[in-house]
Amino acid sequence: MPDTAWWLDLLWTVVKGVLVAFGLLTTFAYMTLVERRLLARMQIRWGPNRVGPLGLLQPLADAVKSIFKEDLRITKADQLVYTLAPLIAITCALTAFGGIPAGPAGSFFGLDPWVYKLDVGVIGLLAITSMGVYGIFLGGWASGSKYPLLGGLRSAAQIISYELGMGLSILGILMLVGSASFQSIVGWQANNGWLIIFQLFAFATFLVSSFAEVNRTPFDLPEAEQELVAGYLTEYSAIKWALFQMAEYVNMITASALMSTLFFGGYKGPVFLEGVIPGISNWPFIWLILKIAFFLFVFIWVRATLPRLRYDQLMRFGWKLIFPLALTNTIVTGFYLTYFRSAGLWPLALLGLIGFVLLVVLSDRARKLWNTPTHRPDAERPAATRPLGGD
Amino acid sequence: MITFLVLSLLTLVGGIITISVRNAVHASLGLVGTLLMVAGLYATLNASFLAATQVIVYAGAVMVLFLFVIMLLDANRPVEDANPLPFIAPLAGVGGAILAGAFAILAFTYKDPRPLAESTAALANGAPGPVGETLLTRFLLPFEAVSILLLVAVVGSVALVQRPAVQADPQTQPGAARLEGEVA
Repeated sequence: MPDTAWWLDLLWTVVKGVLVAFGLLTTFAYMTLVERRLLARMQIRWGPNRVGPLGLLQPLADAVKSIFKEDLRITKADQLVYTLAPLIAITCALTAFGGIPAGPAGSFFGLDPWVYKLDVGVIGLLAITSMGVYGIFLGGWASGSKYPLLGGLRSAAQIISYELGMGLSILGILMLVGSASFQSIVGWQANNGWLIIFQLFAFATFLVSSFAEVNRTPFDLPEAEQELVAGYLTEYSAIKWALFQMAEYVNMITASALMSTLFFGGYKGPVFLEGVIPGISNWPFIWLILKIAFFLFVFIWVRATLPRLRYDQLMRFGWKLIFPLALTNTIVTGFYLTYFRSAGLWPLALLGLIGFVLLVVLSDRARKLWNTPTHRPDAERPAATRPLGGD
Repeated sequence: MITFLVLSLLTLVGGIITISVRNAVHASLGLVGTLLMVAGLYATLNASFLAATQVIVYAGAVMVLFLFVIMLLDANRPVEDANPLPFIAPLAGVGGAILAGAFAILAFTYKDPRPLAESTAALANGAPGPVGETLLTRFLLPFEAVSILLLVAVVGSVALVQRPAVQADPQTQPGAARLEGEVA
């Protein structure tokens, strides 16, 4: 290996990183437009259509506005942390996406279409996204005001709770594939079929947890307008506010990419098209982008459809429904792989399907069972251990 | 080597911030920095699984809970009054000295339990599989002992903050008791 190799590698990694960041931010800008237009369409109104044809220049106008808006300095804010918080949020969001492969090795003009590759792939990505909560959390605290603090606390509790469900949903996949790297997960799916077939149940819990992780409706409690003004965002304005928004949308894109890669075959296209154009299923970028676009649409769709949960419902849902279900799925998958691996994989797919159908059929009962507050008669209440009325 | 020096320097800086800053939130952020840098050290040692776990568990979950409690209890004011536990500073000093001595002895008498190449091969670059196997077979006892240590720490902290239970007060109204129960 010649001496020049390492700095060439470094250079290309930096170039790819910049490209990914640029692509993600452009997607973010147009995502806001698409979201507003789609929401408007679903609510039978027009949405932004004045700036440019079909409103296509609206994101540009928004960007110019938020960059040139006065950057307010909050007197009661903790200046250092207040400035740091949006930076943490956007850094973690952008970094996380870099590990996701967009095509087979060497398919991007002879380069690998990912920015960095970790042996621990999906676990490393979870580690990076788990740092993203600090942005919201610290932003809420550093604003030095009540509502942002409440929003920050809510988001911390929410993200920690749903991270468990998310991590456990992935475990089944890791057991099936036997590796945590994205490349092997995609390769396994190319040989055996999409993982959603075998892990339908895990996909359901993963989807719900991802909605909670990225603070989207119906889980956008940290910024519930009716209760908290705008939650952790209340005291932010101009470009810092925009950075938080960017982080939220980039996280959404990453979550979509993660779902596509883990459950829907990743960057591989449908094999039956190989007959028409040979090699089409290995084209980089296009398939992943299509799949991401689909999930982004789902995110918007759900936002237009579902009302927000109440905070206690959110917590109960996460801990008493998602967490045990994901755990059950992990145990069942592990049990199956240990004792019945020789029977092939289709019984596992059947189990997942049955579980999923049962869950959907029983969803109303489950809602009643898990989602009503525990009410104890007065006689069974534990005696108060503290003197009432404060101390 | 340069990476190691930079990372360990940052680790130490984070640690010093943690114990010297008055604001509890800033102190925890210093600790987060330290934990992240330790994860970076693991990553440079090719133990990427360990690094990811360190970030997820310590920086991502434990420290968030720390900060949660600090913010919830508004405990980020500097502590000025006398420490309620007697002799804590001398005891901590003695403990620190013992720990430093133990580390010194370890560092100067260290012998590889197995040849380095062999154990590196056995751990396969710190992939999840081999790490889990080693942890749950050969090192099961220390692993479980650490969890008992954590349990003891939890019980201890509960015991430290527990207020003495009041006797059931016949005058306490049931209505008032319901309010208390619903907050919990």
